[in-house]
Amino acid sequence: MFETIVDPTVGPAETVERGRPSLAQRPESLAGLRLGLLANTKRNAEQFLADVGRELADHYGIVPVVAVKKPNIVETAPAELMSELTEHCDIVVAGVGDCGSCSASAVADGILLEQAGIPAAVIISDAFTVSANAMADLRNAPGYAYVTTPHPVANLTADGVRARAAQAVPGIVALLTEPVMAAASA
Amino acid sequence: MTSAGTDLVELAKAAIEYCYDQGWTDGLPVVPATAADVAACLATTPHPADEIIGSQPHLGRSVTVAQAAANAIMAGCKPEYFPVVLAAWQAVTHERSSRGAWQSTSGPAPLIVVNGPVRTRLRINYAGGAFGPGFRPNATIGRAIGLIVRNGYGVRPQELEQATQGLPGRWSVCLGENEEMSPWEPLSVVGGVPAGVDAVSAMLIRTVEYIDNRSTDSAEAVLTDFADTLARMGAYVGGPHSSGGLVLGPEHAQLLGNAGYRRTDVQQWLFEHAVRDPAEMAAAGKGEHVGDGPFRMLPSAEAIPIVVAGAANAAMSMVFRPFGWAAWTGRSVPVEWKEQ
Repeated sequence: MFETIVDPTVGPAETVERGRPSLAQRPESLAGLRLGLLANTKRNAEQFLADVGRELADHYGIVPVVAVKKPNIVETAPAELMSELTEHCDIVVAGVGDCGSCSASAVADGILLEQAGIPAAVIISDAFTVSANAMADLRNAPGYAYVTTPHPVANLTADGVRARAAQAVPGIVALLTEPVMAAASA
Repeated sequence: MTSAGTDLVELAKAAIEYCYDQGWTDGLPVVPATAADVAACLATTPHPADEIIGSQPHLGRSVTVAQAAANAIMAGCKPEYFPVVLAAWQAVTHERSSRGAWQSTSGPAPLIVVNGPVRTRLRINYAGGAFGPGFRPNATIGRAIGLIVRNGYGVRPQELEQATQGLPGRWSVCLGENEEMSPWEPLSVVGGVPAGVDAVSAMLIRTVEYIDNRSTDSAEAVLTDFADTLARMGAYVGGPHSSGGLVLGPEHAQLLGNAGYRRTDVQQWLFEHAVRDPAEMAAAGKGEHVGDGPFRMLPSAEAIPIVVAGAANAAMSMVFRPFGWAAWTGRSVPVEWKEQ
């Protein structure tokens, strides 16, 4: 009846690759694997990941080798940071998605790493699961799994960050070793 | 499909409901756009329909001129507003802060300032009630930007958009500069566009707050009042600085102009006087990175945009609050009209 109404959502030809992204194969054991940390610029993010790295090194025999901070919380990590991670690391932990745009872009980073063959665990604060899931849908990875930590992260003390990181570790280990991704079934 | 039958008013209402059902509106009714409407918009601009005017690579979305036209019509724009919409979009887009703005918890609004003869030709309000409501171009040009973000980029509230509280009138902060009552050159001249040329300037802002000061004829007293609001700690978001600008009512602008202040003098005065004691900052939990001496709350004199708008019927002005750490790029965008 209203066919003559113009659909305002129709843009230029699709720029996103369609089809489900393939996710990286999971290792049987984490021992000896080289770990990359991909932080954003949110307050406490680097510290959170550093603490995660230490926990993983102490308890799982992982070797932290690269720690980078992406310059822009909105966009995915630039190509040079991505290649630094994919060239030198076997697994990556990324985060912390503790704002509107960075939660979505952290998920996008995780999916890009998976597509490059690197198992990744993304940490999102629990206030931002909606935007994280929206990005997963946008990237054709509905059900993409990540680790949540209670919001907020920015106001935690150093001790608070350390405790939070320790809490997140079991979930991170599970994501890096078990085939938990809904999108992996493709 | 509704049971509107052949009653034209019922049909029109059904078309509006259809747009709601598609998820295309910002909550208010939209004007359904047809291909003829889009063509009418395209006839006003030298830009081709399929030109891409904005991209969000991380979302995999881009926006074309034709798509902007459909959204402008939906917002309630007349086709002849469209060149101003495109200039406003460009002005917003080239502000660095716009990259993350649409998804931000801050939920910032574009502040759109129009200069030049187009203000009178399109009846863009720059006098009484410039912040609105009541004037079609002011209300709809800003709204068009919001609909392009929603429908073009797919950024919707409580989905990819994560505004904590949002902002009243987020998509309707569009005003003309009251060049006629300003003691200074148009803002667009500061922004690099020759005087007399239609132009749009934009920043992303988090709020506006008033300064009501009708009780003095001292320029310095009024400036002191402005500096106090500009130095408000709540607007400070850590990092290097907060930022602020002014939409001066004509009475305040003329008081300053008559006292010999140029725009740059006002900026310099405010930069030097909008300071806080680091101890006060610390008491509010914001004492990191503020040093020992009086802490300057604003990034630089040039980064305090000063606009003149409103009526000369009471001595009041507005401070506006830029989003993030951003200061205005200082670049205005000329409005491009298709040569007839």
